[in-house]
Amino acid sequence: MNIISVGVNHKTAPIEIRERISLSEVQNKEFITGLISSGLAHEAMVISTCNRTELYVVPAIYEVTGEYLKEYLISFKDARKDVRPEHFFSRFYCGTARHIFEVASAIDSLVLGEGQILGQVKNAYRIAAEAQTAGILITRLCHTAFSVAKKVKTKTKIMEGAVSVSYAAVELAQKIFSNLSMKKVLLIGAGETGELAAKHMFQKNARNIVITNRTLSKAEALAEELGTNKVLPYESFREHLHEFDIIITAISTKEYVLCEAEMHQSMIRRRLKPVIILDLGLPRNVDPDIGKLQNMFLKDIDALKHIIDKNLEKRSRELPKVNAIIEEELIAFGLWINTLKVRPTIVDLQSKFIEIKEKELERYRYKVSEEELQRMEHLTDRILKKILHHPIKMLKAPIDTTDSIPSRVNLVRNVFDLEEPNQSH
Amino acid sequence: MNNILLDNLPLLVLNQLVSLFYLITTALYGAHFFRDTLLEKKNYKQLVLVLTILIHVVYLGLLTSTEGYKINYSMANLMTMVGLTLTITYLFIEFTTKSDKTGFFVISFAAGAQLMSSILTTQMANTGIPFSGIGIGVHLIAAIFGFSAIAIAGLYSILYLLLFRQIEQNRFEFLFQRLPNLEVLEKLTMHAVAFGFLFLSITIFAGIIEQKALNETINLLEPRLISLVVIWLLYGTGIFIKPIIGWDIKHMAYLFIFLFVFITILIVLMTFFSPSFH
Repeated sequence: MNIISVGVNHKTAPIEIRERISLSEVQNKEFITGLISSGLAHEAMVISTCNRTELYVVPAIYEVTGEYLKEYLISFKDARKDVRPEHFFSRFYCGTARHIFEVASAIDSLVLGEGQILGQVKNAYRIAAEAQTAGILITRLCHTAFSVAKKVKTKTKIMEGAVSVSYAAVELAQKIFSNLSMKKVLLIGAGETGELAAKHMFQKNARNIVITNRTLSKAEALAEELGTNKVLPYESFREHLHEFDIIITAISTKEYVLCEAEMHQSMIRRRLKPVIILDLGLPRNVDPDIGKLQNMFLKDIDALKHIIDKNLEKRSRELPKVNAIIEEELIAFGLWINTLKVRPTIVDLQSKFIEIKEKELERYRYKVSEEELQRMEHLTDRILKKILHHPIKMLKAPIDTTDSIPSRVNLVRNVFDLEEPNQSH
Repeated sequence: MNNILLDNLPLLVLNQLVSLFYLITTALYGAHFFRDTLLEKKNYKQLVLVLTILIHVVYLGLLTSTEGYKINYSMANLMTMVGLTLTITYLFIEFTTKSDKTGFFVISFAAGAQLMSSILTTQMANTGIPFSGIGIGVHLIAAIFGFSAIAIAGLYSILYLLLFRQIEQNRFEFLFQRLPNLEVLEKLTMHAVAFGFLFLSITIFAGIIEQKALNETINLLEPRLISLVVIWLLYGTGIFIKPIIGWDIKHMAYLFIFLFVFITILIVLMTFFSPSFH
């Protein structure tokens, strides 16, 4: 029984190819059910996100190879003009298992340790389970991947630290102030960047967030979304600067929104209590001279990128720990796969001995009492259990260098004269 | 040589045990600060810290038992008392602020004091007259606690300035990642300063009461008294300067570091030039 994975991701193909080949949830269901109903696969699952479209398939016939599946997906998406098989990766057996473990534990992500991917893998499994295309192998593979991801999340720091500008801004604010719920935050600009920063602040318990924007309705909409409902008119927010401990600017303007003179006045009014200004605008929104004021921390995007770089460095240092966890789970998964390969032989072996037992007991059915027959049956069951214990244990044992599963299976089959199994997988 | 430790084996063992426990506690807090402690579930280091304090108290009890539980003034005894009071003050701060990331810096300082005391105790002959009377006892203990608080305030001020500079210069390195935030460091410093001020106040009042009890006239021009009052005033000002005139913690940090260095030098000089200044 093989398991193949093929797909495109940020490592193998540019974004336009990834976009071309990606599958919506409806297409995903259609694709995997098509693979099963056409008799090409026993099991199938697709992970499709903005960065990857990956198939996990247990083929039903030998003709279904990695190359076959690549062509199949390209045809399904009618993308022969743009997408070529070279844009794909392909993996088999343990390579597939390793790959999905790496994906689920976020070390294969575009941004190392980006935790969203686990939810996306879970979603892919849900779709396959609902479409009844996830059998014993894909189910086990996914559940092991979830367990790997959980271990990685709890035992390593691969997901720690901010790796986006807006989140780095919050991390920096937390390095200056201990309790953001006690601090007053002013957000200048209700665009996408500002919104993201405000939401991160809100997640870290900042509740006193006041929003100002040139278009008041946008500020009001964001304030309502956050549940703070605190808005300042853009024309008058400068009169209140001294009230704020954290000021975030994310506005598109060629002139500075905050200048040195007004911030100097504001600092005097607030008796030099520390202020952090996070300038997320491009071009910059804040006069750089403000950073020279006493107890004023002015940080722009470049400064915040230093935090991101440090955090990514820190995450990279966790990779050996993550790989060790994956390796451990891979061995366990490999052992489980091996038990699948020997399972038919174990079943045949047990059936053969049960058949012998029943034939022999049948000869005595009318020669002894019912009670004695039951006792004999009980006795033979115990003898069979003991006789079969060692061969079954040997079949299930981990593979060493001089041994292999087929040779063990053949040995047992020859010794006990078992019939050849049906090669369905 | 008549030496209290070399003449008393249980006391010598206990003395070495105290030093050993200080080293273990320092190592545990150091590991907590320098290494990843994600998997650390039980707070062993706090338990060992409490144990260290208990063993230290037992050691001091045994050390002074021969003199009716009165401690005599010597460099070695002063050092061991500084070690103990630093640790007790730090433990109190850790409990009240729930921040344990700075323990390594304070406890390593205390461990240094204790190690120095152990070395001095084994090498010095028994000297000095033990102090007697509640007044002088309170005066001495409060002075040592006061010095410990001053030392802690100085250490936290250094950490505050280091973190402040890292943030200011966009150097988001090790200290940025490991130290508590600026507001917590400020809180820790101010807690230590408040402690210091309280104990220095007790030191002054206990000293005055003791001198009155001995019918000694208080010489207002005595250098010790002048230095103590100046330090007391500076610490008092440190507490009220921020709410009243809005002086920022960065400048206060410089003041507390200066006071810490100044007082340490003062004590060392007094110990060398006037071994029995009490």
